[in-house]
Amino acid sequence: MIGHERDIGDRTQPPWKSPVALSVFLHGLILVVALAGWSWTTPISDPVPPSISARLVTQAEPEPSPVVDVIDEPDRDQERQEAEEEQRRQAQEAERRRQEQERAEEARRIQQQKEQEQQRQAEAEQERERKREAEQQAAKQKAEAEAKERARQQAEEERRREEAARKAEAERLEAEQERQKQEAERQAREERERQEAERKRKERERQLKESQLEALAQEAEQEREAEERRRKEAAAAKARQARMLSESEKYRGLIRQRLMSTWYPPASATSQMSTTLQITLLPTGELASVTVVSGSGNTAFDNSALSAATAVGRYPVPDDQQTFDAYFRQFPIEFNPENAQ
Amino acid sequence: MKNRVNRSAGRLSLLMFVMASLFVVPATGNELLIRITEGADSAIPVSVVPFAESGQMPEGDKVSRIIQNNLQMSGEFAPLPPEQMLSLPSKGSDVYFRDWRLLGQRYVLVGQVSNSGGTLRAQYELYDVSQEKRLVGATASAPVSASRSLAHHISDRVYEAITGVEGAFSTKLAYVTLERNADGAIYRLQVSDVDGKRARVRLESDEPILSPAWSPDAKKLAYVSFETGKPAVYVHELESGNRERVADFPGLNSAPAWSEDGRSLLMTLSKDGNAEIYRMNLATRDLSRLTNHWSIDTEPSYDHTGRGFFFTSDRSGGPQIYHKASEEAEPRRITFGSRYNARPRPGPSGRYVYYVHQRDRAFHIARTNLESGAETVLTRSESDESPSVSPNGRMLIYATKSGGESVLTVIAADGGAAYSLPASRGDVREPAWSPIVR
Repeated sequence: MIGHERDIGDRTQPPWKSPVALSVFLHGLILVVALAGWSWTTPISDPVPPSISARLVTQAEPEPSPVVDVIDEPDRDQERQEAEEEQRRQAQEAERRRQEQERAEEARRIQQQKEQEQQRQAEAEQERERKREAEQQAAKQKAEAEAKERARQQAEEERRREEAARKAEAERLEAEQERQKQEAERQAREERERQEAERKRKERERQLKESQLEALAQEAEQEREAEERRRKEAAAAKARQARMLSESEKYRGLIRQRLMSTWYPPASATSQMSTTLQITLLPTGELASVTVVSGSGNTAFDNSALSAATAVGRYPVPDDQQTFDAYFRQFPIEFNPENAQ
Repeated sequence: MKNRVNRSAGRLSLLMFVMASLFVVPATGNELLIRITEGADSAIPVSVVPFAESGQMPEGDKVSRIIQNNLQMSGEFAPLPPEQMLSLPSKGSDVYFRDWRLLGQRYVLVGQVSNSGGTLRAQYELYDVSQEKRLVGATASAPVSASRSLAHHISDRVYEAITGVEGAFSTKLAYVTLERNADGAIYRLQVSDVDGKRARVRLESDEPILSPAWSPDAKKLAYVSFETGKPAVYVHELESGNRERVADFPGLNSAPAWSEDGRSLLMTLSKDGNAEIYRMNLATRDLSRLTNHWSIDTEPSYDHTGRGFFFTSDRSGGPQIYHKASEEAEPRRITFGSRYNARPRPGPSGRYVYYVHQRDRAFHIARTNLESGAETVLTRSESDESPSVSPNGRMLIYATKSGGESVLTVIAADGGAAYSLPASRGDVREPAWSPIVR
């Protein structure tokens, strides 16, 4: 979390501009000088733990202004060369100054030792204070962080709640939508089902109607067929009758012809005379019997008719038994000379 | 279910319909009448089988032969020549109808003639071949000398049995012959049998003899003779040969016709200046003038009623036939068909009148149906004259030209087959058919 904070804070400056880096550099420089001094003098017994010194520098020194102008910074190589040049020069300078300083340092070192002791003490005090403060600060910070954390958590909680609420809302909405959707779907389904049912009902009705119609049609068809059959039968009967009639007409004509050739109307015949005979034939056309049904009153005339009827050896009759039975088994013949005197 | 009921009902009705139609057919069949309104045009096939003979037969034609000729002459029969017959039965028990049917015969006459003591006795039977029925079975006899009369008598019986009409074969014909020789013309009034045989001359004259007419009893002839140089009407009793001039008035005396009772004659006289028809009472010789017209009225003939008469008159310009229903009635014109119609002779039934009819310069015999007015030309020869109808109305005799000579021809009165009488010497004209002698 802290890093996170720092990250946020550092974000405004490049790393080399950061006070930490500067402090590290300066400390490093001091250390170099010190070491050089040390090697020339007496080494310092206790190396200062870097972390502390670093912390000190940071703590002691004000925030240094940026050494390097960001804008002027040329390309790295030149800068490095220049830097190296500078370092060498500085190192020379530092050597010169170190030598100078070493002397001053010696004096000051004693001073400083004292001061340092004091300062160490003060610093320890400060440190303690600082520690306490830091602790306080830490506690505070901790509390703050905790509060913050709590707040955050709260916020987070809130957020979560909100989120949850939102989510819930969303879910609710979603559910609602889902519900609505489902409802819609249900309705649609129901509608579909209803329509389907309706369709099916209609289909059933249609089928029923169709089947009824079909039945009716079938009935009508059967009726029509029966009618057709009856009609055909009737037509056939009629045709048969007509055929028989025409057949009979033909044979009647033949019989008439035969009788006209065998009948000799007697001299006494007049157009008023008429004799009707009843002819009975065998199916072969042979005469079975002939009788006078109504005579003319003239013996010769009646006799001529009888003679003519019997003179026909074999009557022309149809082979068709039915026609024969209908027309020729027994039939009357009238003899009536229309053109007689 | 309903459907099934309907269907079965339909089936039932169908069945009923079919059954009904089955019953209907024979019912209508019974109503179908075959009506014959016309017979054969041809003559009736008849077989006169030569009679079996026993005893002495007279010379000349055999009885059966005479019968056969008579039937032939009538025009109504077509006798089968004996040589074509399969058998010659003389009695009914020997007749095999099948044979005669095979020959197409309708009637068969069989018989036998015997001569016993100068009398010919004939037994004869007439059979209907198709019915296999005997129509006539009889016996007749006559003196041997009258064998022709016996034959004619049998002919009449056969004819009547078949046709229902009294036969006329026993009747006589009167006619006039003309013989031209070196001395001039000889006119002879003759009487013969209807077949022209047994002709006997009753009167011979150098002058024309015209218009013989038979009395109703067939015992007398009235005729016109020019023997005095001018026409006069005579009545001639045949048996005795007595004759009497009944009309000898100035001018024309012609065309005698006997009344039904034989007591009067119709005749044409011009004694009053114009040819008119008169009736003469033979007993009193009284005359009654029956026509009165400036034109010629002549050739009268009583109709079948005996009250009215037909005559020829040129009152309309040319000769035409007129009829008076009674002596007082107004004449009614009968013929209109051509410019010349004359010499009317009514048939016995009163249905037709026969006359000479000119058409295209030819003279034919025609008849007119008095009911319908329809005229029928009966002959085809060109110079036909003097028609005379047989007393039964079935035959007609007339004179015509044949080979430059006048001959007599007999035809069926309805215009059938013609039969020419055997010509005696010379012209034969003015035939008159006698009444039936009873």
